[in-house]
Amino acid sequence: MKFNLILIIFLLYSNIGFSQESLLSLIDGKSTEYSRYIFKGTKIVNSESVEMPDAGVLQFMIQHRFGTLNSGFYNFYGLDNSQVRMSFYYGINDRLSVGIGRSSALKAIDSNLKYRLIRQSEGEKSFPLTICLNSSVVFKQYVTSNLPNNFLLSNQFSYSHQILLARKFNRNLSVQLSPTLIHYNLLPIDQLSHDLYSLGYGARYKLSNSVSVNIETFSQFNSENNINPLSIGFDIQTGGHVFQFHLSNSAFMIDRAFIHETYDSWGEGDIYFGFNISRVFTLKDQ
Amino acid sequence: MIRNLLPILLLMSINCFSQKYTANDGEITFFSYAPVEDIKAINKNVSAVYDISSNDIIFQLDISDFNFRKKLMQTHFNENYLESDIYPKANFIGKVIAVEGDKAKVKGLLTIHGITRDIEATGALVKKGDFVKILSEFKIKLEDYNISIPTIVMYKIAEEILINIEVELDSSE
Repeated sequence: MKFNLILIIFLLYSNIGFSQESLLSLIDGKSTEYSRYIFKGTKIVNSESVEMPDAGVLQFMIQHRFGTLNSGFYNFYGLDNSQVRMSFYYGINDRLSVGIGRSSALKAIDSNLKYRLIRQSEGEKSFPLTICLNSSVVFKQYVTSNLPNNFLLSNQFSYSHQILLARKFNRNLSVQLSPTLIHYNLLPIDQLSHDLYSLGYGARYKLSNSVSVNIETFSQFNSENNINPLSIGFDIQTGGHVFQFHLSNSAFMIDRAFIHETYDSWGEGDIYFGFNISRVFTLKDQ
Repeated sequence: MIRNLLPILLLMSINCFSQKYTANDGEITFFSYAPVEDIKAINKNVSAVYDISSNDIIFQLDISDFNFRKKLMQTHFNENYLESDIYPKANFIGKVIAVEGDKAKVKGLLTIHGITRDIEATGALVKKGDFVKILSEFKIKLEDYNISIPTIVMYKIAEEILINIEVELDSSE
């Protein structure tokens, strides 16, 4: 009898425990977890990351690049020289963003479209990478009086197409590969081909919740005479801004220029200090 | 032998009679009232289950389903403060301990940001045919759940957050 009583109590208790567990299992729904926040900014340093503004959000970005650190006290170690790119990016929906920018030193206007094909996810729908397509067009302005009469307007355009492949390995480490094709309508000085291929490598490592260190480089396949860009920077996130401070051997801020028009080398101390500041504005409520 | 089987049969019969109500589209909204800026976020994918025979009641939600008007705030909320990659879910597991007309009192364990606390809350619990509607409002303290907002963040967040629950459950059988 005593044994039976103990059994009943035991069963009752186990049933209570089990019943809440089983109730929980009734509603334990969501089976796919998407990896988000792979990078803090829409750019790793100079090149595009897989991040884009959220739908209905306008991002204003100011990028500054100063002169080389080895340019001496007379140039205040490069701070006397600065060039700027101002740009706007807008998230049309959760997958598509559009951007427009203007670079001072190159006198170039550029515009890009970024489209996210698939998101890294785990669970029922599992996929190892976040993949985006990024295409941009650059219109370089020339002083018209210097141009020959038969100079075509189309000569002023160049294009860049990238596949951005990113993986967030853990909450701190994200890595991105960016196979890139740059097409110049006008064959650039030093080059033998209108189409230049390169592969970009980027990574970020979070030092804390609001600070990360980023690194970015490109290796070029059929480009002549120029040097691969290498950039290292820090992203600092605050309430409304992302500040990115970095050092690079390129002073340019558009794809074609920092990948294929860099002639300065880290080894000789031709290092440019620069920063990006981005601020977001919510234009459209979701 | 029969005596031994009796409790098991009894338990099985209890399970048969138990009536469960479930929902997966409940709404939980939280508000932070602060001098500089009021912050509000809404989650419309709240799951809930209520077992009317045992009085067990459970709510569960995915932190990343909270929608903010400012998407950057949503990013910070997920990435830095609630750390939804480590603690993807928040839940309440408890019991209805008192019912008086349409008013009810619940007591149980609320888990947010990996930290579990005892809480009690009152609200409305209205049964209408195959539906049960639950409404409640209560406050939680950020520090109780180890949610710290660094000073570098410019927007101010109230130390106490108001939570509003509105869920309509339907009979699962």
